[in-house]
Amino acid sequence: MSVDEQAIGAVGAAAPEFALPEQKKWWRGVLKFIRHKPLGAIGFGIVIVMFGLTLGTPTGEVGVPSLPNSPLGFEMGSPWFERYGPENNFYNESGRLRQFENPSANHWLGTDRNGRDIWARIVNGARRSLYVGIWALVIATAFGTTIGVLSGYFGKWVDTTAQRFMDALQSFPPLIALILIITINPMTTGPNLTVAAFALGFVGIANVQRIVRGVVLATREQQYVEAARVIGASDRRTMVFYILPNIMASIIIVFSTGLGIVILAEAAVSFIVPDKLPQGPSWGLMLSDSYPVIVDHPWPGVSAAMSITLAVLGFNLAGDALRDVLDPRLRLG
Amino acid sequence: MQQYIIRRLILNVFVLFLVATMVFLSLRVDSSNVVAQRAAGCTEAETYDECVAIAKAELGLDKPILEQYGNYMTDLLQGDLGISWREKTPVLDEIKQRVLPSIELGVLQIMVALMVALPVGIISAIRQDSPIDYILRFFSIALLGIPVFVLAIFVIMISARYNIFADWLGPHGQYYDFWDPLGWTSAPTDPLQNVKIMLAPAVIGGLGTGAIIMRFLRSQMLEVLRQDYVRTAWSKGLRERVVITRHALKNALIPVLTLLGILLAGIVSGNVILENLYRIPGIGFYVTSAIAQAPDFPVVQGVVLVVALSLVFVNIAVDIAYGWLDPRIRYS
Repeated sequence: MSVDEQAIGAVGAAAPEFALPEQKKWWRGVLKFIRHKPLGAIGFGIVIVMFGLTLGTPTGEVGVPSLPNSPLGFEMGSPWFERYGPENNFYNESGRLRQFENPSANHWLGTDRNGRDIWARIVNGARRSLYVGIWALVIATAFGTTIGVLSGYFGKWVDTTAQRFMDALQSFPPLIALILIITINPMTTGPNLTVAAFALGFVGIANVQRIVRGVVLATREQQYVEAARVIGASDRRTMVFYILPNIMASIIIVFSTGLGIVILAEAAVSFIVPDKLPQGPSWGLMLSDSYPVIVDHPWPGVSAAMSITLAVLGFNLAGDALRDVLDPRLRLG
Repeated sequence: MQQYIIRRLILNVFVLFLVATMVFLSLRVDSSNVVAQRAAGCTEAETYDECVAIAKAELGLDKPILEQYGNYMTDLLQGDLGISWREKTPVLDEIKQRVLPSIELGVLQIMVALMVALPVGIISAIRQDSPIDYILRFFSIALLGIPVFVLAIFVIMISARYNIFADWLGPHGQYYDFWDPLGWTSAPTDPLQNVKIMLAPAVIGGLGTGAIIMRFLRSQMLEVLRQDYVRTAWSKGLRERVVITRHALKNALIPVLTLLGILLAGIVSGNVILENLYRIPGIGFYVTSAIAQAPDFPVVQGVVLVVALSLVFVNIAVDIAYGWLDPRIRYS
């Protein structure tokens, strides 16, 4: 022990009382979250990896015809992690297509029927799933929240009427409704990804509004809402400034859980009616393409199926953890 | 109670009317595909426009939309769902034939789901935070994460690749013809064959639903086990079995019943895929093959209406059962 330390020890009895509380490091919070919610942390890990796969230098074109050049409102460029173009066909020395190759150092997940790199298609498929999922959820939560808040806040005949329409919407089996909208596709001439996203969002509206309405019904009875009314806040002001901020947590949870459901639904629709969706790298289309040969050549189909599973699992776990942290009483059933 | 049921019925007639209108309108938004496909194969006329006109007249799409709607509604009220455009058979008869496999699959799935969820949910709740609870919860989360159709594909693939019970786990009939439902047998004709065909999709679909129910039941049980009346039951010296089944489970099951009603729509949807994968000629299979090329309007309308009707009635039944199980609930 050195002299300095001894000296500090001698004076130091009262010193800690004056010390400022140490600034908490952000990673402490992350570590705490990982310790307390290991499953949630795994979920967030998967989600971060999935978003990471979509990253690219924001210049030039996406490189995939079915996606617009700026899918989320800004240019994305081709993903960094794709290694090869998703539509490149690979040939061996004698000029034959490298069909259904097993994984190797060059092709991490092997090649598919057309000699294309599966890993590149999985990476580009992640982008497509997220594009469809996010836009669908934006539509579903925007409309669902509006209807849910209005219906829950005003009650009475507004509620009764709105809820009957929602009952009718919910009586459509979601998958049949989806296939129907995508097949009819009234907005564009050919198969279109944006239409698919709209359809997925539309089908989700009824579910979102049911959850939101439940939360609004509880929030409406809170004292601060009463107080707002007493000081003369208009209905609109009460809804936007008093109710909406307080149901934000629930909306965030619905959004993250919904992403998993929508990604799964998109894959399921691509699997059942592959020719009604724009061609291109997509997990659902890969699965439906390779399903007939999955017994002899499992790699393309299994890669796609595992990607779908991991994405759904990731968003489910992340959503569950978010719910535990933000609003444990929210019922999503 | 009686009044409540009558009011629910009236409201639901309105809901069904909305469903019928919505499906009618959504189909009529754009019928050019169907007309074009039918016109392409015509031989009676010279020009393409005449072909289109003939096709429209055949399908009844040449009349004004209000008249079409009027005809459709009067037919519906008389219980007539129309005639399939492609197969030229009455839709109602087709649905009657195909509804049995679908109901069988759905009922089997719910049975599997409850058989898995009840014991697992109870054990996991009364042994909270023990190793067995962790193991069971891990499995339920894993099952929640794996989509039903991915699980089905894996099962089919592995059983065919390594020839493990391929007869029980795989779809029956030829492997390649994805859309061909031949090879299905109903229970009365050949019970063993029927079980062979239905078991795999029932278990796969049932596990997915069971995982949801199990998680919900566990949280309900945990809540109920902390109630005063359960403590009273313990302190009266009742045996564990009696406390758990009579006092706790009975109360925890009530919300589960509602969940089951909500899950039903999901089961119908999930079975659309399972029926296609396992080539079971149910209504899900019928409607996807009717939509797949160009939508066959009467079939789609008929199936959507029948599904909506059954969902509505199951939900009413659930609500009535709710009132029976929980005497505190009074409908007014």
